[in-house]
Amino acid sequence: MIRFILADLRRFGGGALSVVILIALSVALSVAVTLQERAVRLGSARAAEKFDLLVGAPGSETQLALSAVFLQPAPLPLMSGKVLAKLAADPRVALAAPVGFGDSSFGFPIVGTTTALISALSPQLADGLPFSRLADAVVGADVPLKTGAEVKPMHGSVETGGETHTQIIYRVVGRMAPTRTAWDRAILVPIRAVWGLHGMAGAEAHAHEGETHGDEEPGHAHGQGDEHPAGSEPAGEHGLPAHPEAHGPQDDDEADEHGHVHGHVDADAPLDEHFDAQTPGVPAVLVKPKTIADAYRLRQEYRSETTLAVFPAEVLTRLYATLGDARSLLLAIAVGTQGIVIAAILLVATMHIGARKRQIGALRALGAPMRAVVILVWGELFVLFLAGIGLGGLIGLVTAQLISARLTAATAVHLPVEFAQEDWRLAIGFVVAAAVVSLVPALGALRLSPAAALRS
Amino acid sequence: MLSLEINGLEMRYPGLAAPVLAIDRLQVPAGTRLCITGASGSGKSTFVNAITGLERIRHGSVSWNGTDLTRLSAGGRDAFRARHIGLVMQDFHLFPGLSAFENVVLPVRLARRLTSTEAQRARFLLDVTGIARPQQRIETLSRGEMQRVAVARALLLKPGVIVADEPTASLDSQAGEQVSELLVRLSREERATLIVVTHDPALAARLDRHIRLVAGAIVEDKEGVQAP
Repeated sequence: MIRFILADLRRFGGGALSVVILIALSVALSVAVTLQERAVRLGSARAAEKFDLLVGAPGSETQLALSAVFLQPAPLPLMSGKVLAKLAADPRVALAAPVGFGDSSFGFPIVGTTTALISALSPQLADGLPFSRLADAVVGADVPLKTGAEVKPMHGSVETGGETHTQIIYRVVGRMAPTRTAWDRAILVPIRAVWGLHGMAGAEAHAHEGETHGDEEPGHAHGQGDEHPAGSEPAGEHGLPAHPEAHGPQDDDEADEHGHVHGHVDADAPLDEHFDAQTPGVPAVLVKPKTIADAYRLRQEYRSETTLAVFPAEVLTRLYATLGDARSLLLAIAVGTQGIVIAAILLVATMHIGARKRQIGALRALGAPMRAVVILVWGELFVLFLAGIGLGGLIGLVTAQLISARLTAATAVHLPVEFAQEDWRLAIGFVVAAAVVSLVPALGALRLSPAAALRS
Repeated sequence: MLSLEINGLEMRYPGLAAPVLAIDRLQVPAGTRLCITGASGSGKSTFVNAITGLERIRHGSVSWNGTDLTRLSAGGRDAFRARHIGLVMQDFHLFPGLSAFENVVLPVRLARRLTSTEAQRARFLLDVTGIARPQQRIETLSRGEMQRVAVARALLLKPGVIVADEPTASLDSQAGEQVSELLVRLSREERATLIVVTHDPALAARLDRHIRLVAGAIVEDKEGVQAP
């Protein structure tokens, strides 16, 4: 039987192939949409796993989460450095790391932070050491810079017409192990270097003197916290202000033709990761609470007029709901396409049966039972459907993998393309639908009397 | 071997006032080699369809060894035909893409599993009908060979009757001669009744009873081998 079906299909090879391709493409659309949506959901959830709680200045929760977790460049308001100091001293906090963005190099974002965050992201460095001087940098696993390489920070990015900072050249001293998050594309530098580079006073005080904190240099009205004790800073272009308004007239920082003010940075200054009330403003602080209860309490406490606290996972969940809507829409389109394809196939099959009346009549005349004729016609179409569904699944899988690979290359977030339990239901649904649809021309073939079929 | 008995048979088509076939009474004893002739439109094909159960009979009866086809359902007629009637048609109705052997056993394979005895008999029949390479694709054979494969297929299940509808009409005279010889010889060897519808005088000459149809009625019924 199967040999006869295959021999018959070979005779109509071109037609059979086009039917298979038609089915495959429509199935591939559904498969790719389903897999890709899941990949983005799983991948971003895994990327956010390491980030329990984010504290930032009031503003968009989504933007805060996207900027800190996925290092998406966007203007973020600054919050007072006091918050960082307070969080760092809080006994319920296992880790409180500032995250300062704004610069980039070779298209990779430069993130100012602390060695504690490096240990949290990559407990074992793949290579080298964490930074110990202000001009040291640790790169993410996907940044193609070797230890010892120089990193010239650029304000903003090339695309946004950024300019290169000249006061400091970072030197790569270590490389993190892959984290499969956006941080694999980040260049991590000491937060104080970022502050210093952007002329944020508090940093200079520490960087220059490397002495006990809280000291203020006359003429520097450092610490945005001092200026705006209860509020956030106006947003700089990329999280950090390009125009720190805290500079006094006797400030010796040079102002370039763009009106940018740059601070001095002593590249060899030792690392200082102690934060206090005079600490400059930061766009976000990553917090690892000690317990889940602490996490909820901290979030509650830091949801105030001056600060915003979010669980990135929660923000992502809200985004997924949107993603889910988009998927539903795409799937509806895919199902509509399948309907059209099925209608086209039924048309082709019915015409094909018409053309094969004689063959079917002859089979019956020669003694093939009706059920054999039904199975034959049904089987031929069903084989085409199965081939199409199989091929479509494959095309969908490969497509999703290609899309994921491209997205991963761009964002460093690993997007896993994988099948799940519910996919079997979808596959079985396809197969059952194919089996039922294939019956239509088969039952049509039954209506032919063999004699009438032979005469035609 | 099957004997045929027809009583009060009348076949009509919608829209036609006169029946296309009307046979009041016909008996064909088992083992007869019967030839049916007639101009086109005389009802020959309808006769074949009626006696093989390909078409439903509304008036009269057609019995093979007492089995009345009119009492069988469409499926029952299919099953009876499959089991007892070997059909050979003008256009062969072989299936491209399959070998000669596969074509011979196809009707059986479509109904059930082929037994080894049947496979053996298929090879035997292909040998007898002079098909040298049973595994050769059917579409690469000559027309004469194709009809011989069709004869082998008709005989696979040792039918009680072979019904051949213009078996030589689409063959050249030499191939037609071979097929004619084969049909007559094998019907004798296989002990089957043979009913042939033909215009071919060479084939007709080999048969021992001749019926001529005109406008659906039997106008002549002669015994004995005719001169070509």
